[in-house]
Amino acid sequence: MLSASVRRTGLLAPTVITLFVFMVLPMGLMAWMSFLEPGTYGGVQWGHYSAKSYIQFLYEWDLDDQLVLNTDYVGIFLRSFLLAGGATLATLLIGFPTALYIALKDEKARNRWILLISIPFWTNLLVRTFAWMLLLRNGGLAEQFLSSIGLVKEELNILYTPTAVAIGLVYSFLPFMILPIYTSLEKMDWKLVEAAFDLGANRWMAFRRVILPLAMPGIVAGCMLVLIPALGSYFIPELLGGGKSLMIGNLIQNQFGASRNWPFGAALSFALLTVVMVTMIAYNLRFKRAPGADK
Amino acid sequence: MQQRQVAIHIDQVSMCFGQGAEQVTALDSVSLDILENEFFTLLGPSGCGKTTLLRLIAGFEQPTSGHLQLYGQRLEGTLPFQRPINTVFQSYALFPHLTVAKNIAFGLEMQKKPQNEIDATVEEMLALVKLKGFANRRPHQLSGGQQQRVALARALANRPKVLLLDESLSALDLKLRKEMQVELKRLQRETGITFIFVTHDQEEALTMSDRIAVMSGGVVQQVGAPADIYDRPVNRFVADFIGETNFLNAVVVTDGFDLGKLGTLPYPVSKLGLGSKVTLALRPERLCFSEDGLPGVVENVVYMGTDTIYHISLQDQPGMHVRLQNDYGAQAAYQIGNSVKVGVLADSIRVLED
Repeated sequence: MLSASVRRTGLLAPTVITLFVFMVLPMGLMAWMSFLEPGTYGGVQWGHYSAKSYIQFLYEWDLDDQLVLNTDYVGIFLRSFLLAGGATLATLLIGFPTALYIALKDEKARNRWILLISIPFWTNLLVRTFAWMLLLRNGGLAEQFLSSIGLVKEELNILYTPTAVAIGLVYSFLPFMILPIYTSLEKMDWKLVEAAFDLGANRWMAFRRVILPLAMPGIVAGCMLVLIPALGSYFIPELLGGGKSLMIGNLIQNQFGASRNWPFGAALSFALLTVVMVTMIAYNLRFKRAPGADK
Repeated sequence: MQQRQVAIHIDQVSMCFGQGAEQVTALDSVSLDILENEFFTLLGPSGCGKTTLLRLIAGFEQPTSGHLQLYGQRLEGTLPFQRPINTVFQSYALFPHLTVAKNIAFGLEMQKKPQNEIDATVEEMLALVKLKGFANRRPHQLSGGQQQRVALARALANRPKVLLLDESLSALDLKLRKEMQVELKRLQRETGITFIFVTHDQEEALTMSDRIAVMSGGVVQQVGAPADIYDRPVNRFVADFIGETNFLNAVVVTDGFDLGKLGTLPYPVSKLGLGSKVTLALRPERLCFSEDGLPGVVENVVYMGTDTIYHISLQDQPGMHVRLQNDYGAQAAYQIGNSVKVGVLADSIRVLED
């Protein structure tokens, strides 16, 4: 018979190996790469260590090799956060009432709604983003519709702008906001709302003091599920922003592609990762103390 | 009884659910007056409409027809949060995200009471339901009995004119339930609030209530004090639902009731129509064994501690239960198979006309 500790090690091994091979190893490689010199034709120069990539994020070297502040990359980070944060807010504003509406329906209608919401997942997001290009371009359906009701006089001029990127982000990530909020509302005990009414709460107070706090786990989950992928989104800004409204994802892709600066790409990835992780940890700390966290 | 004000006046209230062929009548023209400072119980089996009536009073539903009044004021069109009526829910419906104190303060905060007044009332309510020191717990950290007390405190904090209790004790185990029955009675006395209690448990209804309305099939069968309902049931449903009852089928003859092969049971039948068929209701504890009773055979003997119940089979009639109190050290007087005579006193007979 194997001893308990050997058995335990054996049972743990698949998890540990998977985590190591698919997470620790590639991340370690990236971390290492971010501290190397870039190769002339892409790749890295192994053994030539430097912190240049991280410096490059904030500064550039002028002709005299002096460090000069360069806010281009910070600007792209800021724009990414603005777009992703805006998309999160917009999906929340659209998603919460939708989820509430669905949760208040009877079971048959609820299942039908959930099916409708998940139908877009049956098609590739890339194809759907192309469809948005057709919708939003000048002379496209959106323009035709808006001019027919008299909202637009001339050309729409919306494709290849941050607005188009925002529309694309909201569209793509809306289900990820609706579904977790719906899940938290669906298992809510509606007797609690009755109790609130009974105790003298009007509709608004019942919503603010009972429904909203109880839906909070779903709202937080939804915000995470939208904000984090939206921050790293790549082809939505690429297609709808036309390469003009770069987001972090595009910048990183550029470094590994056209710019042939792999260490800088790796450094940017780590900068993004750090920001996301700090946000998550902050949320977690905050949320552990927040009402409704313990059931 | 001194003259008391009517707290809730229910006038010809009907309630239907569903449409067309699937329509279900939950309440059928119910009229009731519930008095101020009364412990009033709506008693009946599940589906009898008692909870629907409670929800109508609370304002969660609107009646299909008829109307309700609270101290003379019509309640139509007022929403639950506009009524000075609070409910203790069957599942308690405590807010899981709020502490005990915050739960109790909820109604007061909705009324925008000043904070020092809220704090004082919460303290008072916690003392009233004997939960001092639990203010900062969350509902899930409390036992069922404690949650029940919080739900009570929360509903009472608003000083409602009427408190509704929806099967509020049914989730508790027997011992706690007995404790809470006494507790509820005490709270009702101390606060002077009208309590309307819904239950399917007849024993609970009998112990706590000032008056009981027995309901069945959306209709109020009988309203009265517990002793009235127990001793003078108006129909077979009430007699059967409240306590244990033996029923005998009889025909009225000149000097009493003809029980078929069992012979005639003497009774002053002056007010009853000769030859009419009636049902006689007999409580098991009002019966005894005597020389000149109805002949029967002991089928079973059930020892209950305080009492022994004899199951007697009778010719031509449904079986009867006879309940005798056990004296100290006494043995069961009869064994299975013994022939006995069941004595029925005219006083203990309730005649139910079919």
